[in-house]
Amino acid sequence: MSASVQNVQIQLDAPVPAGEAPEILEEKISIRNLEFFYGDSRALKKIDLPLYSRKVTAFIGPSGCGKSTLLRVLNRMYDLYPGQRATGEVMLDGENLLSPSVDINLLRARVGMVFQKPTPFPMSIYENVAFGIRLYEDLPKNEIDARVESALRRAALWDEVKDKLGAAGQALSGGQQQRLCIARTVAVRPEVILFDEPCSALDPISTAKIEELIDELKRDYTIVIVTHNMQQAARVSDFTTFMYLGEVVEFGPTGTMFTAPTDRRTQDYITGRFG
Amino acid sequence: MASRGAIPILRQYGRRTLTQSLADPASIPGAPAPTDRRTARLNRLRAGDALFRRMTRAAALGVLLLLGGVIVSLLVGSTPAFLAFGPGFVTAEVWNPVTDQFGALAPIHGTLVTSAIAMLIAVPIGIMIAFFLTELCPMALRRPIGMAIELLAGVPSIIYGIWGLFVFAPFLQKYVQPLIIATFENVPLLSDLFAGPPYGIGVLTAGLILAIMVLPFVTAISRDVFDSVPPVMKEAAYGLGCTRWEVFRSVILPYTRVGVIGGVMLGLGRALGETMAVTFVIGNAHRISASVLAPGTTISASIANEFTEAVGDIYTSSLIALGLILFAITFAVLSAARLMLARLDRGKS
Repeated sequence: MSASVQNVQIQLDAPVPAGEAPEILEEKISIRNLEFFYGDSRALKKIDLPLYSRKVTAFIGPSGCGKSTLLRVLNRMYDLYPGQRATGEVMLDGENLLSPSVDINLLRARVGMVFQKPTPFPMSIYENVAFGIRLYEDLPKNEIDARVESALRRAALWDEVKDKLGAAGQALSGGQQQRLCIARTVAVRPEVILFDEPCSALDPISTAKIEELIDELKRDYTIVIVTHNMQQAARVSDFTTFMYLGEVVEFGPTGTMFTAPTDRRTQDYITGRFG
Repeated sequence: MASRGAIPILRQYGRRTLTQSLADPASIPGAPAPTDRRTARLNRLRAGDALFRRMTRAAALGVLLLLGGVIVSLLVGSTPAFLAFGPGFVTAEVWNPVTDQFGALAPIHGTLVTSAIAMLIAVPIGIMIAFFLTELCPMALRRPIGMAIELLAGVPSIIYGIWGLFVFAPFLQKYVQPLIIATFENVPLLSDLFAGPPYGIGVLTAGLILAIMVLPFVTAISRDVFDSVPPVMKEAAYGLGCTRWEVFRSVILPYTRVGVIGGVMLGLGRALGETMAVTFVIGNAHRISASVLAPGTTISASIANEFTEAVGDIYTSSLIALGLILFAITFAVLSAARLMLARLDRGKS
């Protein structure tokens, strides 16, 4: 376990690709000594991990390794379920978001989430996006209109839906629904966006669109993505975390992770030997 | 992998398969059975299947036949009353067995008002209980409360009746009704709605009893449909930072409105038709009063109360006509619900 922590250190000190000015990485979220329990069973063991601002960090690993659990700690989604608890520290801009005094609704406005399956609410396309805005801000109609439009544009959905904003969100195709959910998340103006296998229910073309979108979004947001698809992790992420049995086995720049992993288990996983 | 697994099987069956396959192909596991044996078995199954199909159809048609029979007998039975009083039967308030003058307005009014009171109380409370049970209740309490609600649905209506008459009505008379009357005494409109004296029994009491009886239906069905909302849907709403009320109002309720309306209609159906408990506590007075504290009657209470003493064709026929009207009201409510659901469905897609 201590070996893996050292790995992290080594990877971070590794030189940035040649030809570029060394980039200053800013830790948006720092996870320290995090443990997570479902009742009595420990699902995450001593996690230490930085998540960098305006970067995409991918969580990969075999099913049940805890990557979705880790993601759900970041917006305290687990709070909804009795018997689930986390210990340790998760610092968001220097504030421990696990602390009971944190305003959960505000936290979730700052840390948005996009789910595995598209989850359009039972209302119109326009209302789906405006819904989140209205939760936090009292704006006149024309400003909400503008925000809805810009969110839909950011999600690359505007051109497809601008003539039918009143239609039901659930009438869109799967890929469009997922982009609608991204627009809904973006509209609240979060700082961090969590993607929980956002493409696993989508066809390849929709997947490509979402990946393009993630690449766009990382200019403004800190992005964390859980994925089963290693090519996807390699394509969209800047940093990759390989998790196994509730531990972080290896963390580092995606390029290094996929070309020269230091841990045997990482190598076995990314070459498809297990998982 | 495959070759390694295949070897023990060969070892086990290899020799025997070779020798026996020549003698009797049917004894080999997995070998096709002789065709004639199969056909016989299939024919037998087919005959059973045809019988099953006919039985299900007969059962379904039987219900239609029964329903038709009920409608026809109600129509035939009520004809004398409608011939005697014409359409005025529905709008007349008079109900005088001595002079053989009958009108259905008071029971119709009572039925609608008691049901309205019941739904007004039971629907919000039932939905709140259901939401509490599905979203907020600690696991340990979920089953006991759920079972208590289901038990409430199973209590026979006669028990609500005697409890209402001997316990609930005196309690209302002594403590609640005087308070209500005093509170609204000087408020226009409300002073008419809650005009004394406090009888204990009356339209309001019947409505309250009905509310208790309807509550489990609304609760149980709402709970089931709330449970059917995909967890990820709720998480998405919570993930935006919604409070529980916002999740409930904006996601769960719109998502389940068809089911909730179904539960409400089922409850309304029970409220409209409930006889025994209402008969005990409504006071059985054939008159229309603006005050909900005054005694009244409902269609089913009138029928139950008076059928044994109904002498003469017109009296009996008037009671049957009341039954026909109740049937029509229930049918109208169900149709309205269907229409509403169909419109909701169309609005969604």
